[in-house]
Formats: sequence, structure tokens, C-alpha cells
Amino acid sequence: MKVGMISFAHVHAGAYASALNGIPHVEFAGIYDEDEARGAEAAEKYGVAHFKSLDEMLASDIEAVVICSTNADHCHYTVKAAEAKKHVLVEKPIATTIEDAKQMIEACKKHNVKLQIAFPVRYMPAMVEAKRIVQSGQLGRILAIKGTNNGSMPGGWFVEKDKSGGGAVMDHTVHVVDIIRWMLGLEFEEIYAEYDRLIYDIPSEDCGMLTMELTGNVFATLDTSWNRPKSYPTWGGVTLTLIGTSGVLEMDAFGQYYNVYRDEATKAEWANFGGNMDYILVKDFVDACINDKPVKITGEDGLRALEVALAAYESGRIHQPVKIEDIR
Amino acid sequence: MKPGLKVGLIGGGAMGSTHAEAYRVIENAELVAIADLIPERAQAIASKTGATIRSANEIIGDPSIDVIDVCVPTFLHRDFVVKAAEAGKHVFCEKPMARSLKEAEEMKAACDKAGVKLAIGHVVRFFPEYISAYHKVKNDQIGDVAVVRTTRGGFALPTAWNDWYANYEWSGGLVLDMIIHDFDYLRWLLGPVERVFAKSTLGRDYNRLEYALVTLKFKSGAIAHVEGSWVNSGGFHTRFEMAGTKGLIDYDSRQTSPIKLTVNRRDGTPGVPVPTGAWEESPYTTELRNFINVLDGKEGIVVDGNEGYESLRIALAALESIETGKAVLL
Ligand SMILES: NC(=O)c1ccc[n+]([C@@H]2O[C@H](COP(=O)([O-])OP(=O)(O)OC[C@H]3O[C@@H](n4cnc5c(N)ncnc54)[C@H](O)[C@@H]3O)[C@@H](O)[C@H]2O)c1
Repeated sequence: MKVGMISFAHVHAGAYASALNGIPHVEFAGIYDEDEARGAEAAEKYGVAHFKSLDEMLASDIEAVVICSTNADHCHYTVKAAEAKKHVLVEKPIATTIEDAKQMIEACKKHNVKLQIAFPVRYMPAMVEAKRIVQSGQLGRILAIKGTNNGSMPGGWFVEKDKSGGGAVMDHTVHVVDIIRWMLGLEFEEIYAEYDRLIYDIPSEDCGMLTMELTGNVFATLDTSWNRPKSYPTWGGVTLTLIGTSGVLEMDAFGQYYNVYRDEATKAEWANFGGNMDYILVKDFVDACINDKPVKITGEDGLRALEVALAAYESGRIHQPVKIEDIR
Repeated sequence: MKPGLKVGLIGGGAMGSTHAEAYRVIENAELVAIADLIPERAQAIASKTGATIRSANEIIGDPSIDVIDVCVPTFLHRDFVVKAAEAGKHVFCEKPMARSLKEAEEMKAACDKAGVKLAIGHVVRFFPEYISAYHKVKNDQIGDVAVVRTTRGGFALPTAWNDWYANYEWSGGLVLDMIIHDFDYLRWLLGPVERVFAKSTLGRDYNRLEYALVTLKFKSGAIAHVEGSWVNSGGFHTRFEMAGTKGLIDYDSRQTSPIKLTVNRRDGTPGVPVPTGAWEESPYTTELRNFINVLDGKEGIVVDGNEGYESLRIALAALESIETGKAVLL
């Protein structure tokens, strides 16, 4: 199957490009980027064609696209790809507004193409194992959840609301929300958030703390802060603690690492050996397209996660909890 | 007989026996009397320390006693503290100061009126890792504090006298009893709290598994996430992480203890687990030593009634938020 990539604006683009080059039954056919120089550079790096116009790439015989544009551009590119009958794998968050997300879902449905959201954390071996433990019933009924998705401050367009849809809350809410929905089958009902710009001189918030009511009388918190300093051994991480009636499960998604102390580096480092989640994600998407199977992470999944982030912004404005149904 | 202040101890449970140990090594204080409703407990402390066993009222009424140390369950703090103050005694009272703000106000007023000193047992301010981190922050090593996370607990609901910890009206549960330690520490470090939002298993299907997550927004701007757990996840442990404009510090007692001991026991341990460690001196001893020194005219750090009151306000606001589902402004 031939696959193209649209935009290298997002830092994850490189990982997906490498994955496309590594999957046996995929031909990575080319790159289009609204930033022509960036597109040319990436095409050269991954040894693929550089398309100077999007229409040209969409008119070619590729069957699917991977979109790594700014969040705000996801909708435009997804709709165009769907109209050209290309399957879509789009970086998270699905979009920056509910209207955009719905439009993307509609377009893909109408043109009968697949739409998958890139939530690679679902594919991490540690998360797969955790889900198995949850389903084994060893934890009993889940009472509460504590999650974190901290990171370093990404800078660039990530801090510009018109391109990213927000700051740390928009960037780091959706992964853990998706993991909780997937692992526990719970839905989010009400969101409270404290967030602020406290660390960096940037236009968006860099710290976020969400408290959430879920179905099943379960509550959860999520720390979305971009608060890992340059000297931290790694970029950040994802953790999740589940409190059950008969057990407690503590997960560190990137917890498979060893310490590295190199005199050439200015800090201690963590070398991860936890598996290549980006590769597994892209391969799973490609397999769904080739075998015409439903994708594992749908546009609706992306929309549900986006709703939580948007409710968090509303809560931070009024300093009280906000019901998801009220922002739909 | 040792020279120095004479102390009478009321309540000889988990905390009372810890305090009794402390007075053995504090040079300028002597534990002279112990009261506990359970005779064996009073006896155990008496035979170790030489204190005489008496009723609480006898101890408070004894003119030769200078200091009353109140280690009874929380809902009884007010009665004993007020009586002790009225009898002209200085008072050390375990945290939380009281079960309600009204009780705490009465305690403050009684001590002010009698002109006696009141100290509240916010012992975390005397733990070496917390003191060290406090100075690290105050010395501007990580810049302005932005986001803090703390963890405390990981053991099953403590069983104590009359199962009082399980009685919400008596103990205030996990939030008032235990993570008030973190509220107090954070308030010491970051100043006043502006807003509180909290969730707990309390009032859902509690079943002796209490778990609470509290978010504090400070006037300084900082955001703190405080986790408390009376659910077994490997036994008592504490954690903190503070991220600032110039760096980050994190601590996990499970990873940094210089000594690791596991003893298999069939019966489980009764009482609340009191932290132990490879210390120069137990923080509980340091805490009481400071109070005794102040009473003795020397220098010392005391968490007084006003401080205890402010930290109590945060805990009660968290309980209100848990009950109402709304954010509470302080
Ligand atoms: N600072 C800390 O780290 C820490 C740790 C644990 C407990 N505490 C606090 O210390 C206090 C006591 O807790 P604990 O765990 O020791 O409880 P506990 O149940 O182990 O001990 C309380 C004791 O008080 C006695 N008592 C009750 N009523 C009495 C009365 N009228 N006269 C005399 N004795 C009476 C009981 O017999 C019991 O032995 C509580 O306020 C608790 O919150 C503080």
C-alpha cells in the first residue's frame, strides 16, 4: 500500500516517517508540506518524493495519508484527503474545535475512508499489559484514577492558540483521557481545571491540573504540565495509578529504562527499551486499511478526548466544574 | 528527677507512645504523668519512662505540671486543650488542631486568655527531607514554584482506639487526619491558598478504602496536587515533586531509604503506622524539643495555634469541596 505524509509541522512526523519506511508491505510514496523547504528536507531525509502541491499528491495513487500538521490544520487536510478517497491517520488532538472534529468524522464517513487518531500510548507494551491486568479482575472495581502526562515545553506553534488550540492542557490531556476510556471503558462527565502560565514566557498556559468525574462513580486527576526542565533525564512521561476495591496498579508508560551517565552529556539520561509504539501504531493503521477492518482508534475517540480538554478550558475560566454535555 | 519542665501526657496510643519516647531524650523535660483509658497502654509507658499513671483530670489539675501533651483522638482535642489552658498549662496538641474551626477558635482563645503557649503537631516541618527541600526552594535553586505534587499514605485505614479513624465525625477521615500534613507544609512553603477542589471515595462507596486527590491553587500562582491514600499500596510512603521556573526536585521515600527491611507477620499491625527512619533524631523528638526549648526561654521553632488553624481551614475546605462537588474559595 502506498502512503503519503502531509506536513512535518508536528515533532512526531519523523517517528511516523521512519515507521512507514520500516513496514514491509508499505511504500512510503512522498511528502507534501505547506512549508516547502521543510517538505524538501524531509523528502530527502527519508528518500521519498517531494510533492509541491497537495492536489498533486492527493491525485496520485497513494491510498492513505498520515497528517502531522498543526492541530488547527487537521480539519482542512483531513477533509481534502477524504474527498480524494484517501484513508487518514491524523496526529492528536483530532482538532482544536468540536465543529472541526465533527466535520472530519463526517467527511471520512461520507467518502467511505478510514479515520484513525494517533494515540500511540495505547500500543505501548506496558499499557497493553496493564489492560490485561485490569481485565483479569485482580483490581476489583475501580474507584479512582491518578494520571500524569508531563513534558518539556515544546515551543514553536504549540504555544500559539490559533495553531494548537491551547497550551499544556490541549497538548497533554488527550493521551491519558484516551487511555482511560480504552483501558477501563469509562466516559468523562464533568471536568474541573486549574491551569496557568507559571514557568515560561509564552502566550499559552504551561501548567495544567484536571480533576474529572467519570461514569461508574469514578474520579480522576490528570497533570498536563510542561514542567520538565532541560536538565531532566528525559522529555517527560505518562503515568497512571488505578485504585481498585481489591488492588492498586501503578503504571509508568515509559518506565522501562536504565540510567546513562555520559561525560559528554551535561545530565543523566534514561535510555528507554520499552518498544516502538509509533511503529506499532502506524502498522496497525496500515493493516486496517489493507484488510478493510475497522480502525482501533476512531474519530469519535478523538472527539471524546478533545471534549475533555475544551471543558477544562471552560472550567479554568469560571473556576468551577463544567459538564461535558454542556460544551457539546 | 531530671531538671526542666514537667510534662503530663494525655493519650498513650500510637502518637502518645512516640511522644513518651521523645521525652526520654529531651534533657530539659520530664514526662511525669500519663493518662490513658486503656490501662495496659498507660502501664507500658509508665514502666518505660517512670511516669505515674493518673486520670486526665488529675494531671491537668496538678500544679507541679507545666506542659500538657494532648495525644487523644482528634475530636477530643478541644476539651483537653481548653481545660489545660484554663489550668494555666502550656499545651502541645497533635494535629489536626481540631475537628472544626469553631473548636480550634475556642482552643486559641483559651490559650490566649490564659497566656499559655500552644503548639500543633505539624511534624512534617521537622522531617529532614522536607526541611531540605524547603531550603532548596527558598534558596532559589528551582526558581519560582509552579507545580507541586505530593503523596502520603499507601497503607490500609488504621485501626485504633474505638476504631476512631473510621468514624468521619471523629477523625475527619484521610483529608483532615493525614494530608493536612501536606497542606501545612505547602502553606509554609508557598504561602496562603486561594482555591481548593477535591475528590474522595468518601461518600461514594467507601468501605474502609479512602483515597483522596486535592488540588490547591495558591495566591502565589502555584498549583499543588495532594494525594492521600488509606488503600494498601505497599505500606506507608511519601513523595513530593516540585517544578519551578529554573528546575525540579522530586523525592520518593520508597526509592531513597538507606535501609530496607521486610518482616513477615501473620497478624497485621494495629495502630496507625508512625514513620521510622535512619535519622540523627526522630522528627517527633525534634518537634517536641523545639517546643520545650521555647518554653524554657531558648530558641526554637513552634507551629502555633494560628498556623494550625490556617492549615485546618484548607483541610476543611477540601472536605467541603468533596461534599459539594464545587471549588471552595478560602
Ligand atoms: N503527627 C503525626 O504524624 C500523627 C500520627 C498519628 C496520629 N496523630 C494524631 O495523634 C492523635 C492520636 O492518634 P493515635 O493514632 O495515637 O490514636 P490512638 O487511638 O492510637 O491513641 C489514642 C489514645 O487515646 C486514648 N484516649 C481516648 N480518650 C481518652 C481520655 N478521655 N483520656 C485518656 N486517654 C484517652 C485511647 O485510649 C488511646 O490509647 C490524633 O489526633 C491523630 O490525628 C498524629
